[in-house]
Amino acid sequence: MANDKPEPKRPLIRVSDFDFYYGEKQALFDINMDMKENEVTAFIGPSGCGKSTLLRCINRMNDLVEVARIGRGKIEVNGADIYDPRVDTIELRKRVGMVFQKSNPFPKSIYENVIYGLRIQGINKKPVLDEAVERCLKGAALWDEVKDRLDTSGLSLSGGQQQRLCIARALAVEPDILLMDEPCSALDPVATAKVEELIHSLKNDYTIVIVTHNMQQAARVSDKTAFFYLGKLIEMAKTDEIFMSPKNEQTEAYISGRFG
Amino acid sequence: MTKEAETNRYDLHSRSRRILGLDKDQALKGLFGGNALVSIIVLALITFFLFKEGAGFFGQYRHEIELYRRSGLEYVEIMKEESSSYTELNRYLNSIKGEHATMLKEQGLSFSEAKAELASYEDFIYDFEDLGYPLSEYVLEMNEIAIGARDMYVESANYREHRENLLALGRDEEAAEVEVLDVDLSLFVGMLKEGEPDFLAINDKLAAGIERLTSDLPTIGVAKLDEKMQRFRQLALMFVAEMEGYETRLKEWDSQAPVGMGVAFASFVFGKDWVTNSSIQDWYGILPLFTGSLLVASIAMVIAIPLGVGAAIYINQVATPAEQNFIKPYIEFISAIPSVVIGFFGIAVFGEFVRRASGWAIFSGFDIFPISERLTAFTAGCLLALMAIPTIFTLAEDAINNVPKAFKEASLAMGATRLQTTMRIIVPTSLSGIISAILLGFGRVIGETMVVLLCAGNRIEIPDFTNGVATFFEPVHTMTGIIAQELGEVVNGSIHYRALFMVGMVLFLLSLLINYLAQKIVLKYQISRG
Repeated sequence: MANDKPEPKRPLIRVSDFDFYYGEKQALFDINMDMKENEVTAFIGPSGCGKSTLLRCINRMNDLVEVARIGRGKIEVNGADIYDPRVDTIELRKRVGMVFQKSNPFPKSIYENVIYGLRIQGINKKPVLDEAVERCLKGAALWDEVKDRLDTSGLSLSGGQQQRLCIARALAVEPDILLMDEPCSALDPVATAKVEELIHSLKNDYTIVIVTHNMQQAARVSDKTAFFYLGKLIEMAKTDEIFMSPKNEQTEAYISGRFG
Repeated sequence: MTKEAETNRYDLHSRSRRILGLDKDQALKGLFGGNALVSIIVLALITFFLFKEGAGFFGQYRHEIELYRRSGLEYVEIMKEESSSYTELNRYLNSIKGEHATMLKEQGLSFSEAKAELASYEDFIYDFEDLGYPLSEYVLEMNEIAIGARDMYVESANYREHRENLLALGRDEEAAEVEVLDVDLSLFVGMLKEGEPDFLAINDKLAAGIERLTSDLPTIGVAKLDEKMQRFRQLALMFVAEMEGYETRLKEWDSQAPVGMGVAFASFVFGKDWVTNSSIQDWYGILPLFTGSLLVASIAMVIAIPLGVGAAIYINQVATPAEQNFIKPYIEFISAIPSVVIGFFGIAVFGEFVRRASGWAIFSGFDIFPISERLTAFTAGCLLALMAIPTIFTLAEDAINNVPKAFKEASLAMGATRLQTTMRIIVPTSLSGIISAILLGFGRVIGETMVVLLCAGNRIEIPDFTNGVATFFEPVHTMTGIIAQELGEVVNGSIHYRALFMVGMVLFLLSLLINYLAQKIVLKYQISRG
């Protein structure tokens, strides 16, 4: 998909009229938005505004929550309704990778961490796996730091390295979309800078959706920014537009730090 | 605020009440510290007591074995071995006859007809039995001599002790009245040794007799039984060949050969017999009890591990909250059943059920079924498994629960199925916790007493592992069972008493080892989590 880029960029993810509930409590109200191919979309907003919820709806991780349910609307990825009963979440999640807030490498070697997604698909050929490890670790800008110690535990890495390892792990199954849920919130500024740099370079091959609390980060890494408040999408526009001249008062108040 | 209170604001001395001159914190610390101290002291006392009571065992046992040798009992035992293997032959012969009789009965022959049929070779059997009489009589005679010698020696030793006690108390007159015979064991051993030529002569005659009889085997006319008859000849000739071995052992036997501590130790640790209250010689070999315990525990673990761990995985990873709320307390409830009730159930219901079930048509393909025993290692093992399951389940579930949710999420987000996530992430991550759960379950099983005492069948014999699967359906005795059964009846301080303490010590060390391993593994697990 990344090879034959159509112009203008088509929406790879389309959310339309989307309502979402946790039990009786409505978490998302009538969300409509498009996320375009090879763009970075940032979700910002105060805590509890539903940005993470929406993110986790895109790869159906919310299915793990017992009481979660959809009220109305749909989410389409590459034109396919992902909440269609015939959709296999396993297949969906292979296309839509995810990186979590807290880095969570498995208690396995770095090597095994990266190829986990391949192993579960039954790929066990050593040359294929070796190639994937190198490609993904290079893709996650971690190769040079760990190439001599691929056998050591993924948990022995520093926080920033662990997060990049998680990104490498997500890349191994060759997804089209990467969802990142506050990937830098537990990292120091140096490690954050490295991950941000990485997001920049990943943009060429992947469509990225990132949830962040850090507005500078949103400004630095994203093409589009969506501002959420109380479960509603308040405003979505090009990042510089939203930061320079927000159309909505609430957005402006949030961005300028008057609340949130 | 009054003026007085105002001035007291900076009186910073503690105002809380003091208990025994301690403030609240110190009192609490003292209370809990005291509790911990008491537990430690009690544990230390138990350990000390076990070692103290058990320690004298080896010395006493060495002494007994020494007496066994000096008095010639050991010498007689060699002859007895020969005699009993001859008896085995007789038994084999009689079993052929018995089988034939059953066969005839099944064919519908009347008693007298069957008898006539059997008569054709009955004489042969009687002749064979008669051959052995001189041997068994001779052995009996020698046995009397050796036992007499031993008993006299023990008696005189008792008298001597009595006299010394009196002397020590200063009651010299009474002491002078106590007659002490000096028993010279070597005299008796000399008597035994003198008989050796007679024994050799008996052996020669026996060998010649066997060869003569087996050269002309009777034919029964049933192929299967005739085959057995041939087998009998082989066995009989083997016996003849072995005679020489017994003879050399007798010739080489030396009543004065030293008996070291090693002999006593080996005879305990590797001893195949646990014989108590015998008129000849008591043996305290732990092997039959140890293997019995191990066999029962292994059966229990083979059943309990998959069930316990499987249930833990199911409850933690698959079950709905409703199922969790039902199954978890239910399994944990099992551990609340008193073991004697489980044992009761085993005797009254389960043992009988297993025996009946083994006769069902679906098992008819296995030649070890149906089984005849109701109380076997298998019966006890199944019930112990029931008791180990809650332990394994609870601890394994804890271990699985400790796996960070983030691992599961990460795995699922990669497109792994729930099963893949469980098998590749959850179980490996919690494996050391699961292993230590299994070890603790094993510790629970090996230390369990009531169920094995009631349901294992209590036959003191090393299970015959050459029988394959049938081994599991043999009655066994266990280390815990023997202590519970015999400790109440032994004389304080006797060798038997000390032997039971030694068994207790072995159990104690085993449990210690298991707990140590479990802790080691858990420790390793915590480190690996980073």
